[in-house]
Amino acid sequence: MGDYKVKENLMKVLEVKDMKKTFSLSRKQRAIEKTDETKKVAVNNLSFTAYPGEIYGLLGPNGAGKTTCLRAISTLIKPDEGDVFVDGFSVREDSYEVRKRIGFLTSELKLEDHFSPNYLFDYFAKLHGLNEEETSIRKEELFARFGIEDFREVKVADLSTGMKQKASIAISLVHDPDFIIFDEPTNGLDILTAKSVTDYLVELRDMGKTVIVSTHILSVVEKICDRVGIIINGQMKWTDTLAQLHESEEELESLFFRLVAESEGAQ
Amino acid sequence: MKNILTVFRKEFYRVISDRRLLFTAVLLPGLAIYLIYSLMGNIIGGQMEEVETHEMVVYTENMSEDFQTFLADQDLNVRYEDGEGLSKGEREAMLLEGDMDLFLSFPEDFDEKLADYQGQTALPDVGMYYNPSKQFSSNTYYQFQSQLSVFQQAIGVDRHGLDYYVFSINQSGEDYEIFDEQKATGQGIAALLPMLIVMFLFSGAMSIGPDSIAGEKERGTIATLLVTPVKRSDIAIGKVMSLSLVSLMSATSSFIGIMFSLPNLMQGENIDLSIYGVFEFFMLFTILLATVLVIVGLISIVSAYAKTIKEASMLILPFYFGAVILGVSSMFSDDTQANVLFYVIPLYNTIQMLIGILTFEINTVAYLVTIISSLVYVSIFVYILNRMFQSENIMFSK
Repeated sequence: MGDYKVKENLMKVLEVKDMKKTFSLSRKQRAIEKTDETKKVAVNNLSFTAYPGEIYGLLGPNGAGKTTCLRAISTLIKPDEGDVFVDGFSVREDSYEVRKRIGFLTSELKLEDHFSPNYLFDYFAKLHGLNEEETSIRKEELFARFGIEDFREVKVADLSTGMKQKASIAISLVHDPDFIIFDEPTNGLDILTAKSVTDYLVELRDMGKTVIVSTHILSVVEKICDRVGIIINGQMKWTDTLAQLHESEEELESLFFRLVAESEGAQ
Repeated sequence: MKNILTVFRKEFYRVISDRRLLFTAVLLPGLAIYLIYSLMGNIIGGQMEEVETHEMVVYTENMSEDFQTFLADQDLNVRYEDGEGLSKGEREAMLLEGDMDLFLSFPEDFDEKLADYQGQTALPDVGMYYNPSKQFSSNTYYQFQSQLSVFQQAIGVDRHGLDYYVFSINQSGEDYEIFDEQKATGQGIAALLPMLIVMFLFSGAMSIGPDSIAGEKERGTIATLLVTPVKRSDIAIGKVMSLSLVSLMSATSSFIGIMFSLPNLMQGENIDLSIYGVFEFFMLFTILLATVLVIVGLISIVSAYAKTIKEASMLILPFYFGAVILGVSSMFSDDTQANVLFYVIPLYNTIQMLIGILTFEINTVAYLVTIISSLVYVSIFVYILNRMFQSENIMFSK
C-alpha cells in the first residue's frame, strides 16, 4: 500500500457531500424490480472524501449506487441534493472545470467501433486541448504501457474485450488527469489484463493522483485500495482506511457481509 | 470553434472513411435515381413506340364502303377482319383478351341511308366497342373516332356546304402560341424538381442522422464524448455541420442523378438547364443550404430524443411524409405564394422559393424571409439540441 498524502493539498481532494440522487422508474423498470414505487433513491445522503496519493475503493453489491455515485462525480448526471467538489469545483456549478480534471472509465462508456485506438486517442486529445507534441508524448507513454502499439490501427470493432479495455483506459487518461475515476475497471478481463490495470492504478496513486475505484470484488479492494467506503442501498455504511480496519482485527470480507446482513435485516 | 471543427471532422470522417456508408448515403441516391428514372423513361418510351408501331386489329360489321374508301387515303397501320356473325359474347371476350382492338359496327345499309338523306329523322348510329384498359385498344378507338369525325364533317359539308360550320378556329395562319420559352421550360422543371429535391435532402439526412446521435446513445459512445471538457453546444453544432455536409453531398448526388436521367425520363421533351445563370444557381444553393440545415436540425433533435436508431427512424417518418406532401403540392401549382408571411413556414418556403427560382419569378423579400427564418430555426434547433445533450433523462434514458 502506498502512503497516501492526507490533506497535503486540500484543493486536490475530491469530496462527495451529502449527495442524494433519485431516478424515476419506468413501467418496464418497475416490472423488473417488482415494485409499485415510481421513484428509486439510488444514493442517499452519501458523503466521502478522496485524497491525492490514495486509492479510494467504493465497495458494494450490485445496485448499491456505486455507478450512480461515479456518474455524478463525472458530471454525467446531477445530484438532486448535495454536491461533489473536484479540486474545489462543484459538479453542479462548474461541470466544465470538473471534466477537465477527471479521467472517467465505466463500462457504460464505449469507443466507436469504426475507429482505431490511434484515431480515437488523437480525437480525444484534441477535445482535451492537447497540442500535437503533447499528444505524441502521451500516446507513446500510454500505448507502450498497455501494449496498444500492436493494435493501434485496428478498428475497435475488431479488438478483443481486453484490448478494448486497454484502449479505453489509455483514452480516458489522455489528458493526464489528477482525478481518476474507474468503475469496475477489471470487469470481464482476463487475469493478465486485470493485473496490468490494477498495477497501473497503483502507479497512478504513487504519482500523487486521486484515484476512486468502484468494485464488488473484495480481492481487488484488499490489493490496491488505501481507503474503502462500503455502500449498501445507496447509503455509506462504513468508510475508513484498510489499515484502521486491520487494526480492529476484522476482515474486510466479514465486515462487508455483516453490513449487508444488517442492511437486509433492517429492511 | 476549435472543438466544433474537431467534432465536425471526426463525424465527417466517419462517413467518408466507411466505403459502405459513403456508397449508401452519398453515391447510391444519385445512382438509384438515374437508374430508376432512366428505366421508367425507357419503359414509357418503349410503350409509346410499341403503340405507334402496333398493327391495329379492327373487326367490322356492315362496314361502310364510303368510309373504307375514305380510310384508304389515310396512313393507318391497320388490319381489318370480318366481324360478321360474331356474337356479343365472342367480341367481348376478344376485346378483353386483346385479340381485337376495336369492333366497328355500322347499321345495315349505312351508305344508302346517308345517300338517301331527306332531312333529319333518326340518326344512323355507329357502334365502336373497345377496351379502355388496354393501350392498343384505347389508341385504336381514338384513331378511329378521329377518322369518323373527319368523315362525318366531310359528309356534312357535302350536304350543307360551308353552312355546316358555325365558325372556324385558328385558321388565319398566324402564330397562336404566345409564350416565354425559358419560362415554359422552367415551369416544366419546377413541376418536378422541388418535390424531388426536398425528398432527397430529407432522405439524405435520414440515412445518417439517426446513427450519428441516436446510434451514439444506443452504443454508449455519446457518454465518452460527454465527459470531455467540450461544450454541449460545440458537440451539437459539430454534428449538425457534418450531417449537413453529408446531406448536401447526398442531395447533390441525387440532383446529378435527376439531371442525367431527365432526357430519358422526358423522352424527347426539351429539358435544358443552361437556361439558368449564375444568379439562379447561387440562389438555389443558398436555399438548399438553409433547408438542409433546418432538416438536419430537426432530424438531430428527433434522434437525440430517441433511445435507438430504430426508434429515431420511426419518429422521423411523419416529418418525412409531411415534407413529401408539401413537395407534391408544388406539382400542381403554377404560381408562387405572393404573401411573404408564408415564407416563414419551413420546407413550404423552400418549395415556393425553388419554384420561384426555376420559373424566373424571384421575390427578393421572400428569399430573405426564407433564409433568415431558416437560420432562426437552425439556431433554435441547436439550442434545443444543446439542452437535450445536457439532460441526463434524455441522454441516458433506458
